[in-house]
Amino acid sequence: MEKTEEGKVLRRDNETTDMALFVRTSDEQFSGWDRQRIVDALIKETEVDVVTAQEISREVEELIASSTISMVTSPLIRELVDAKLIERGLEQERKRHTRLGMPLYDVDQLILHPNKENANVPHGPEATNLTLAERIKKEYALLSVFSEEVADAHMRGDIHLHDLGFIDRPYCSGQSLEYIKRFGLSLPNSIAMAKPAKHAEVLLAHMVKFAAALQSHFAGAIGWDAVNLFFAPHLVGMRDEEIKQLAQMMIFEFSQQAVARGGQAIFTDLNLYWEIPRHFEDVPAIGPMGEYTGKTYSQYEHEAQRFAWFLFEVFKEGDGSGRPFFFPKPLVHITEKFFRTRGHLEFLHHICDVASEKGNTYFVFDRGETAKVSECCRLSFKLDASDLEDAKQPWKMRYCALQNVTLNLPRIGYLSGGDDRSLFERVEEFMDMAVRAHLEKKTFIEKLLSYGENGPLALLAMERDGSSYLRMHRASYLIGMVGLNELVQIHTGKQMRESKGAFKFGLKVIAHMKLLADQLSERHGMHFVLEQTPAESTAYRFAKLDLQYHWQKAHHVVKGDISQGEVYYTNSTYLNNGAVMNPIERVRQEGLFHPLVEAGALTHIWLGEAKPSKESLANFVMKTFNHTQNDQIAFSPEFTTCNRCHRTSRGLAEICSYCGSRDVDGITRITGYFTRISSWNKGKIGELHDRYRNQGFLRVEGRDERYEGEMVPLISA
Amino acid sequence: MGAVKIFTKEQCPKCPAAKDVGDRLKMTGVKVIDYDLGTIEGLAEAAFYGVMATPTIIVEDGEDNELAAWRGIVPTPQEIEEMLRANGLFTS
Ligand SMILES: [Zn+2]
Repeated sequence: MEKTEEGKVLRRDNETTDMALFVRTSDEQFSGWDRQRIVDALIKETEVDVVTAQEISREVEELIASSTISMVTSPLIRELVDAKLIERGLEQERKRHTRLGMPLYDVDQLILHPNKENANVPHGPEATNLTLAERIKKEYALLSVFSEEVADAHMRGDIHLHDLGFIDRPYCSGQSLEYIKRFGLSLPNSIAMAKPAKHAEVLLAHMVKFAAALQSHFAGAIGWDAVNLFFAPHLVGMRDEEIKQLAQMMIFEFSQQAVARGGQAIFTDLNLYWEIPRHFEDVPAIGPMGEYTGKTYSQYEHEAQRFAWFLFEVFKEGDGSGRPFFFPKPLVHITEKFFRTRGHLEFLHHICDVASEKGNTYFVFDRGETAKVSECCRLSFKLDASDLEDAKQPWKMRYCALQNVTLNLPRIGYLSGGDDRSLFERVEEFMDMAVRAHLEKKTFIEKLLSYGENGPLALLAMERDGSSYLRMHRASYLIGMVGLNELVQIHTGKQMRESKGAFKFGLKVIAHMKLLADQLSERHGMHFVLEQTPAESTAYRFAKLDLQYHWQKAHHVVKGDISQGEVYYTNSTYLNNGAVMNPIERVRQEGLFHPLVEAGALTHIWLGEAKPSKESLANFVMKTFNHTQNDQIAFSPEFTTCNRCHRTSRGLAEICSYCGSRDVDGITRITGYFTRISSWNKGKIGELHDRYRNQGFLRVEGRDERYEGEMVPLISA
Repeated sequence: MGAVKIFTKEQCPKCPAAKDVGDRLKMTGVKVIDYDLGTIEGLAEAAFYGVMATPTIIVEDGEDNELAAWRGIVPTPQEIEEMLRANGLFTS
């Protein structure tokens, strides 16, 4: 027996060392020192040979024995073992033996301070849980799901893999109410099974429950197709007050789902139609108790329209403090048929009124005869022939995007040194990397799904209509882009808004990406589509990383305020946020990219404090439909909400205009949804300062009588 | 000097006819530019003019401003010549 300086007792009996040393294990126990545990873990987890494992365990034991510590934790032992693996050059083994987790300091910060990466996450114990889980899953994804090359490309910021913290789920999805109308609410692992709803309120309750279940299986948005239409058979015979109350319940339910995942509201899109969409006209309607009503959906126009109308009445009123509802998001599809449907002008004025007053309305333009379902931040799907076949049994219309990978376009600019050929080659390299990431995620999700209804994705594997809920063969794989404007600026010396040549070069880059996506889709038998990434934090992350790696070039083109760290790249294919231009011209020019960005695109019209008349907005919407290729527009007003008197006023102000309190918060759209500005990351704050609020084209109420209610001048495109 | 821009792509039934019209215009000295939507250049230019169908024929004024367009249809060379003449772009 020997005694070390600090009094630990070591007894050497032949091979084993008995240390009076305690180990704090991960399962909340103290256990005595046992070198064999190291050996066992090494063999089980890394498959090193026994001799090496024995050697390492002995070395670690000696290290601890010769130290001054009397208490070790299992994470520490693991790190020491990892150090020994590194000494031996056993890199792969070390990776397999890695421990995932967070430093004490970080956890402390996390519990105390809000998460700014996603403004939709409130701060609180549930949110902290969510973030902690996300951190570990993110590490897991980068170490274990993706190859080193893909993970490195993400870490470097060539590409961004979205929602790594939700690696074990698909990205976003589009749903049909018909599924729960027909099959009731019957979820795997749930105790009670509910039969198809008889009453509208019950159907709503099923919808909310199902949405919550889906939220825990998808990373992002849950979109619902033709909500007002599919509710219609349940609304027959209901009085106006009753329908309005149902509309209220729906909006409040989805805006206050603070009990769901991490206290996060469910990112809900309600797709609404004034007309009966052509692909549903002759479809047999499902009514109460999941039974066919004997009518087709074309016979429910009246109820569908009433419901849509009342939903917007509720949106117009806003919440109890007069603030806009952040969720759900209403997306109204404007089609050729819309303009042929009775009452469309009144409805257009109604939803424009809401757009001006509260900003909620999204105007989705489905031109020609393409039918579309919108489902994510901006993700929409054009329905092809097989979808239209599915439309006859609308519960089959379930879509998903498995993952979103975004390319850092300005990075490509820095790397290609002004050479066209090199630039286009690098776009291809980055696209290949994105596709590789998609293949790896697909393999992983397929593995999870293979466990079926007893596995981790039971809900998505359930088969109520003969095929699994998640229809993998219909999945899309999104490829997004950030900073096209800055790429063009680096490469041509001009921003897209500044010269036609620069603008056309931007189109070439996206055309190249589109053609590559088509080729890659064919090669892999998968559906790769371009998407305008919402890039709530990616535009900030890329800018920061480029300032780090490419300072010389980047500091000229990065947008925002470098001294304040409020830096960002212009989102996706957008023109500079601050460019002074007629809003209809912005809608037209940005819209030229939209046919190439198939998975959905949007132009924001920042209203600031202006409140244009519903007639002028309706006029604007019609011009957009008739004279541009733009896919989707939204008008975004700004508000100041008071934390003292809880009243809400128009415009962003430092002081509450009602009570004079300085304890106020701004509210406006961050990317695809409204939030409180205090929750925004620094990059988005930088962008907010730069946003051009169309001051020259919008009248601010009460300030300029000449332009009452007009957006001027509305030059037709 | 304006130009006639012809947008076509592979496996589009009416596209050969549009190309023929272009060839005949070229012989009369009109500046004709062909764009294939399967190429970067062609797809980007098509997006610039909001071309959603092939074939599409666009007459521009030399500054990329659209003076006339036939989208998804094939005009006769005479129709295009008339348009060029009306805009003072037909020199021969
Ligand atoms: Zn106040």
